[in-house]
Amino acid sequence: MGRIVLKNIRKAFDAVEVIHGVDLEIKEGELVVFVGPSGCGKSTLLRLIAGLDTPTSGSIEIDGRDVTKAGAADRGLAMVFQSYALYPHMTVRQNLSFGLENQRMPKAEIAARVDEAARMLEIDELLGRRPTQLSGGQRQRVAIGRAIVRNPTAFLLDEPLSNLDAELRGTMRAELSALHARLSTTMIYVTHDQVEAMTLADRIVVLRKGVIEQVDTPLNLYNKPQNLFVAGFIGAPNMNFFKVEVKSGKAELPGGAQIAVVHEGPVTLGLRPQHLRLAQPEERAIAAEVFLIESLGAETVLHANVEGAGQIITVLDGQLDIARGAPIRLAFDDANLHAFDAAGQRIG
Amino acid sequence: MPLVLIARGLDPVLRLWQRCTGTGGMITFFLLPNMAIFGVFVIIPLVLNIIYSMTGGVDILLKDRSFIGLGQYGRLLECQDYLVSTTCREDQFWTAVRNTGTFVLFQVSLMVCVSMITALILNRKIAGRGFFRAVFFFPVLLSPVVVGLIWRWILQRQGLMNLIVTQLGFDPVVWLNDRFFAFSAAIGVSTWAHMGFYTLILLAGLQAIPKDLYEAAEMDATPASRVFWRITLPLLGPNLAVVLVLALIRGVQIFDEAYVLTGGGPGTSTLFITQYIYEVGFASFLRNPGLAAAASILMGLVLVVLTLIQLGLSRRAEKGNAR
Repeated sequence: MGRIVLKNIRKAFDAVEVIHGVDLEIKEGELVVFVGPSGCGKSTLLRLIAGLDTPTSGSIEIDGRDVTKAGAADRGLAMVFQSYALYPHMTVRQNLSFGLENQRMPKAEIAARVDEAARMLEIDELLGRRPTQLSGGQRQRVAIGRAIVRNPTAFLLDEPLSNLDAELRGTMRAELSALHARLSTTMIYVTHDQVEAMTLADRIVVLRKGVIEQVDTPLNLYNKPQNLFVAGFIGAPNMNFFKVEVKSGKAELPGGAQIAVVHEGPVTLGLRPQHLRLAQPEERAIAAEVFLIESLGAETVLHANVEGAGQIITVLDGQLDIARGAPIRLAFDDANLHAFDAAGQRIG
Repeated sequence: MPLVLIARGLDPVLRLWQRCTGTGGMITFFLLPNMAIFGVFVIIPLVLNIIYSMTGGVDILLKDRSFIGLGQYGRLLECQDYLVSTTCREDQFWTAVRNTGTFVLFQVSLMVCVSMITALILNRKIAGRGFFRAVFFFPVLLSPVVVGLIWRWILQRQGLMNLIVTQLGFDPVVWLNDRFFAFSAAIGVSTWAHMGFYTLILLAGLQAIPKDLYEAAEMDATPASRVFWRITLPLLGPNLAVVLVLALIRGVQIFDEAYVLTGGGPGTSTLFITQYIYEVGFASFLRNPGLAAAASILMGLVLVVLTLIQLGLSRRAEKGNAR
């Protein structure tokens, strides 16, 4: 239970189309993360699946049933909102049991479900409190609890951690992952935070301007981005790009380094900052001049200018004694190079 | 140019004042004009009213009046059976109290219900929403006397209402000469004139309820009626309480539009407390300023209690919003 299929989904608000024909299949029990920059349509897509908005065209199936025209209540889904959307005048227990009361469930069963969810989320001490008396993390747990008690076909989570501080976000991320492993229920998770996407997802859906750019596992997205947008979006700091001209299967990188590319004409080459290292004297390398040093303790991030090719960022292990303005030479392995054609699509 | 000259002229005075009194003194300086107006038009009349309520006679000037202590209050409150106004020494006062109480009960209930329904409708995405909001709010901008006159013309013997009634084949009704219709008209007209204001307060409250709470309720498969009773109404509680108390205060003070509409009649069926005070103090042949002052102090006490309740509720609402 929990297989969700989107077929050619389009959504327009008045004359503006924001989702342009999305096709997607989410498998039973899968944790799929929608990720993309602001305005890419990830939350809109989630709301279409939830039934809070209706698609302009296309269809949505849940477990083989066409629910395109069905209301939110008839889809068997539960949603965790970015703002938590807890009823402020109700206690935690009332918040958790509200949806079950709507189903006219016997009181004893409601109490049992609420108690079980509260135990699972370690909020059983908070059942008598109101949302205003809870911390951000506790509210988040209650919001998840409210979804859990309904025993839904799938969970929809709309940027659920974005209102938490960095430390709590890390803790809650791990808890959500453990919760998914325990419940094995389908989860669709919307975020703009790629760390959340990479750590939580079975598969990631990368969206841009209402179009799916790539759907794949986190590591495949990182290792084999299908286009320039995905390559630039996934990974932090962003991938370094160089525009080169390939002639007779050879391209010259800034600084004169030669590489082989199976393509002819203009090509964009990409190198992740983590895949650059300080070169040995005899090694092929890119020459640059450091203009910013970020010492993070375990690693050092260098921002440098490459003559005629803009800026380059590299992440190097450990603490380095490099001064601003110092010349550096950065080496790389050809296996870590990503090449994209003039249309921005991956080559090879 | 004259303003510049005034400012230049005041500048040395202000500088001297600030040097002598400091920043605190400047605050007093700027508040002084308003405090003076408040004192002249509120504090002094209030003190005079209390003094008048303890004096007897028909003379207006205080020096001509005799001190009788709480005699006027005793006269107003002297009753064999408070539920039967004819057994009271000042039966018209008690008739006015009963009429005002009845008016407040029905008018406030009607006002809250109508304002609530209007606010709920105007909060939905309906065609011409802006136009309808203006239509409902427009009567608030009218002078109460104008409101009274408009409705008197509509309800008089040859008025618009009777034109409609006769067109429908019925006999004309002398609406304002019938006790029941006149009282109902006072309630209806007052509600029509002021509901825009209360609708606005409730509309603001409705719009302050986060949209995602309704979406959460939708995901929870909550029926519309349950959404209203379990989500909208509790969250609108502070606004509703403010509306209730403000409408109560306004209801107790009812005078102008009702007076223009019915003149207190037929008989004393629409005689309200403020009209009683006005007539006893200024309009009747045997005017009694002391009795009117005592009645207004008693009404003032009721209003003070209601205002304190309103303040308490407003503060509670503010605290709720701050959370």
